[in-house]
Formats: sequence, C-alpha cells, structure tokens
Amino acid sequence: MRIVIANGRHEADFMIKKFIQDNHKLIVINSDQKFGRYISNNNHVPVLFGDSTKAYTLDDAGIHDADVLIALSTDDIENYVTCITAKRIFNVKRCVSVVRNPKRVDLFKNLGIDSVICSTYLLGESIKYESLIESFTKTLTLENDKIVITEMMIEEDMAISGKLIKNIKFPPRVNISCIYRDPEVIIPNGDSLIQSGDKLIIVSTPHDQEMITKFFKTRTEDNE
Amino acid sequence: MKKTKSKILIVGSGRLGASIAGKLSSQGHDVVIIDKDISSFRKLNDEFGGYDIVGDASDLFVLENDVMINEVNEVIITTDSDNVNLFIAHICFYIYDIPHIYVRLNDNDKGILLNNTTIKTIFPFTLSYEDYMKKRKENGSHENRNS
Repeated sequence: MRIVIANGRHEADFMIKKFIQDNHKLIVINSDQKFGRYISNNNHVPVLFGDSTKAYTLDDAGIHDADVLIALSTDDIENYVTCITAKRIFNVKRCVSVVRNPKRVDLFKNLGIDSVICSTYLLGESIKYESLIESFTKTLTLENDKIVITEMMIEEDMAISGKLIKNIKFPPRVNISCIYRDPEVIIPNGDSLIQSGDKLIIVSTPHDQEMITKFFKTRTEDNE
Repeated sequence: MKKTKSKILIVGSGRLGASIAGKLSSQGHDVVIIDKDISSFRKLNDEFGGYDIVGDASDLFVLENDVMINEVNEVIITTDSDNVNLFIAHICFYIYDIPHIYVRLNDNDKGILLNNTTIKTIFPFTLSYEDYMKKRKENGSHENRNS
C-alpha cells in the first residue's frame, strides 16, 4: 500500500517503523524541519519538509491516488484541511485524522473524513462501556462504535444456563457468534448446549447491547 | 422584518470583520460577531450595535448555544487562518445549511476545496493583483512616460 504520513512526532516515527516492516511504500511530510530530519535519519526514509495543508506540498510529495493518508498534527483543523485536500484534489482513497478535541470526532466524520481517532474520546467510550456493564462482561467496539462484541460469562443460576440454543426464546437481533468452553471453541447452532462456565461472544449494535445483557442475566427465579 | 433566519454572523473581528460588522449594523441588520480574543473587539466602531461573542466559532456548542446558528442567514468568515476559515465555511455549509456564506482565503489554491458549494470566496491576492493591473493601465504605458 502507498501510505502518506503528514506531521506528527514520535507517534509518526513509531508508525513509520511499523509500516516499513510491513513493506508499505511511505510518503512522509512534516512541517517541523528538525523533527523531519530526525525521522529521516532514524528510519532511512525521505521526509518532505512543508505545510501539508497546501496543495502544492502534497503535489510535490506525489500523494496522487495514495491508498491511505494519516494526519497526525496536534492542530485538529490542520488535519482536517490536509485530509480534505488529499481526498478531493489528490484522490487519496482513505483519510485518517487524529484529533485532540473529542467533540470533533463526529463532526469530522460528518464532513467526510473516513476515520477519526481521538485518544480522549476512545478512553471515554471504553469507560462508558465498562461502567455500563457489570464486571463479568467485557466489550469491544468495531467500525467506529457501530458494532459491539460482548463477552459474557455464564453462571449456574442464569435462566439460559443448561438449555439448548433452539429452546431459548431470544429477543430479536441477538447473535451468539461463538462459545468458548476451555479449551474448546464452539461455533454454535440450534443444538448447542449452553453450560455454566461458558464464555459467550455476542455481536450486536451498541443500541441493543444493554437489552441483550439484561436478557442474558435473567436469573432462573426471575422466570418462574 | 422577518423573525427567524435574519441574523448575520461575522467570524473574526479583524480589520475586515469589524468594518463589515459596523457597516451592516448601521444599515439596520441584526449582526453578531465572534472572535476568540476579546481584545479584537476594540476594532469595532461606534456604529456597531450588535452582539460580540468571545468564543471559538469552530465549536458546534458555541455556534448552537451562543451564536444561535439556526437563526443565521448569512456568514462572513474572516479569521487570519485560511485553514480555520475553510473549516468553519464547511461547517456552515454542510452541517447548518446556511444559504449565504462568504469566506476570505489568502491562498487562492484553497478555493478548490469550496467547489460544488454555494460558498463565495474573497481572495485578497486576486483583488490586489487586479487593482494593480487596473491602475497600471490607467497610468498609461510606462515606456511612453520615459521617452
């Protein structure tokens, strides 16, 4: 892949190392001449010194039709302009922007940036999910929070424990993707039995997650 | 006068922003001017009778709650950063659908990023260039003068 890395400091350096290892073709642009030289010496890659929000810099760097551009400046708006210029003028396929201000994540996406990363935002989201759900479940989100994967431990007194999947009355939009019964991994069908001690991997939308956890956590006595 | 959607928002209280604010305000328009630096409002003259807001116009919360962007019909964006101007212009156009947007850009190349929108650009470069060419023409051919 042809990957463009615009600005950034040590995180840029780290990514460049990784991408070189994976044999990607790199185009590196940095507006800090001193740090650019450091990256260049450190990784033996050419670094173009310049302002990545200017079309002529991107033109000089030869980013036309690149596969990915990653904008790592500490200035959110600079990253926005870099990404939009790369997309609209140079036909770069996918643009990733880092932002400092978590409020800008959704805004940047609405304005057409493919992927927006904010460490504060990610931290906030994971804390939100961690606190939403009790300790025996772990969650992971994919595709910018559109998909969540919930891991759930089955306990003896849960209503679904000891039942075949086909005999359980599931709410809509529930998908048990996998049952982990140490050391076995089971891809379940209707005849799979859910036992206490199983770990279920459930894929859903974030919207349904709370409803699903509530359902699974129904205890036997609640049902009677 | 119409009650809704009649406000004019000016972003950036520099010489240009402040002058436009004063003029439009004196003509009876409902004008709001925003700048992140309170000392910029010193440039506003006595004609100005609108609101001045200290804040970041690229922050949607500020736009919605302080500026009341849903009542805005026209925006003039004149901060000293082209990137900020472009970003705010995109927000006003794509997010808030404001019918009349004017933006100042020092770098003519960035104008391409406003293609396929109704955003109008003001290029100081072009204005200066054209003004020079016009004055040069009015002045007559320089060669003639020397001979």
